Amino acid sequence: MAKFFGVVIDEKRLAAIKGTPLEEKVEPIFGGALKRLVIEVPDDLAQKTIDQFTKARFDARGFIEETPAAFKRLVFKKIVELKSMGPEVIEKALAELDSIKDEIAKESQELPIPDIDISDILELQKNPVQKPA
Amino acid sequence: MPEVRIKTLPPPHGGKLVERVVRDPQMARKLMEKCSAVYDIKPTLFKGNPVRNVYREIMSVCYGFFSPVEGSMTKAELESVLERRRLLSGWVFPYPILFDISEEDFKKLGVGAGDWLLLRLKGEPFAILEIEEVYEIVPGDVAVRVFGTPEKNPEVVKVPFDQKHTGYNIYCSLNPIILAGKYTIINEPKFRPPFDRFWYPPKRAREEFEKRGWTTVIAHQTRNVPHTGHEALMKQAAYIGDIKPCDGIVVNAIVGAKRIGDFPDEAIVEGHEMIHLAGYIKPERHLVTFTLWDMRYGNPIESLIHAVIRQNMGISFHMFGRDHAALGEYYDIYATQILWSKGIPSFGFDGPPYEVDGGFYIRPQNIAEFWYCPKCLEFAYSDNCNHKGIYSRYSGSFIRGLINEGVMPPPQIYRPEVYKVVVKWWQKFGYPFNNEKYLKEREERLEIDLPHMELPAHLKK
Repeated sequence: MAKFFGVVIDEKRLAAIKGTPLEEKVEPIFGGALKRLVIEVPDDLAQKTIDQFTKARFDARGFIEETPAAFKRLVFKKIVELKSMGPEVIEKALAELDSIKDEIAKESQELPIPDIDISDILELQKNPVQKPA
Repeated sequence: MPEVRIKTLPPPHGGKLVERVVRDPQMARKLMEKCSAVYDIKPTLFKGNPVRNVYREIMSVCYGFFSPVEGSMTKAELESVLERRRLLSGWVFPYPILFDISEEDFKKLGVGAGDWLLLRLKGEPFAILEIEEVYEIVPGDVAVRVFGTPEKNPEVVKVPFDQKHTGYNIYCSLNPIILAGKYTIINEPKFRPPFDRFWYPPKRAREEFEKRGWTTVIAHQTRNVPHTGHEALMKQAAYIGDIKPCDGIVVNAIVGAKRIGDFPDEAIVEGHEMIHLAGYIKPERHLVTFTLWDMRYGNPIESLIHAVIRQNMGISFHMFGRDHAALGEYYDIYATQILWSKGIPSFGFDGPPYEVDGGFYIRPQNIAEFWYCPKCLEFAYSDNCNHKGIYSRYSGSFIRGLINEGVMPPPQIYRPEVYKVVVKWWQKFGYPFNNEKYLKEREERLEIDLPHMELPAHLKK
């Protein structure tokens, strides 16, 4: 059974494929809260992809997950370059893996912390219902 | 007429709660006098990374989570557990509980059957092991027998276990010498925040349930920060109850060494707490707790240790979902539900674990799955919603992938307050998930601190 590789499409990525046939392939998920493109990946190529990354795995939906964000960016770049949603996109991305090795290594050590205000939850935690024993 | 109301909490597994914690310092000193050697507890390493610390098992034994187990298993007990998932007393128990040391350490200690060994943790006396038997194991063989094989357990095991499975690696990485005997904690540890407010060992959990007037309680097993699918599962599974839905929903997180890429335990327990702090479930009905255990990811086998733990805590029902406590595709995704609906004979269960001799009072609530359906406009249960092709299935890996890419999960997936808890610990540790740095530092710091306690003179040499 084939596996799948999903690429989340944010506004920036959507702009990059605007007006191309790829745009029609964007599908909404979670009621439209997110958008994605899905590549169908043959089993052997899917396994080859998993084998490249220590954390990568197939999830219960049959998706290749927990690949580095740098790899997902590279896959999207290849989608745009090749104007394709075929497995060759993954093949090309894997062939260029060396070009993102440093990014991948850095990503396993640090990820930019989101700039969001968390003061409301710190306030809620000031007086927790459950107290230390 | 059969009794409809559930008026009492279930009895402990094995009939009596184990509690082997000495709180009187004088008694502790007397017990230490009887020890002939001191051993500093070391983590179990796989390829240099900590995958287990036996201290967590000692805690779970001595505080009664694993009742009726009282210590490291003898050879006969180990064989019984591996062969039929039963203790020698006949009570169901799924996993070997073992105190393992290297041959080199064993020679240095010079101890044998009949000796008492003082176990030191973070440089302080922690517990005593009354050595009853010393024997050898072949760790790889134990690992294979723990999890099963496609040949021996064809009902649920799909492929042989290998080094991509964390639980398998734990057993493969054990030292070959086993010291069997009872544990006693003699220096009660103090939990570090945030774990301190979630520490409800069985005795305290039962007291808390009674204080709250709960007689029907359902357990939610977790190793994850809760997404809205988990929340829907908790709320809807809790309708089981008796003449009304369950009085209480208890989240019991498994805290210990985890795989790289999982969320830190701090974010997991606080993420669940946020469900009641932010009002999504009333705090009067929701209790967040944890058990110290280095997850073996054993799906049906793990579900049995969950049943042991939660029944000992006084919990009446247990939610079991798809891929329960699983990792990879080694087991059938519904292996736990097969066990808890008809049994798995090759693992020693001709019927479900609540129907076999030595089994459980706790009852399963086998749940298929929840997904987000844009037509139902809700977190729909898979046995209800028939809107094929438009619903979105939850996936923890997918959500972690979003976070990894810097995308804030939408409220359809994560409550915003829960996501902010993830960010809080991300700020603290510099990373949202377990990485090698976190796991190593965590293993040095552990979840506890130990008060200073003087060693007896004869052990200072």
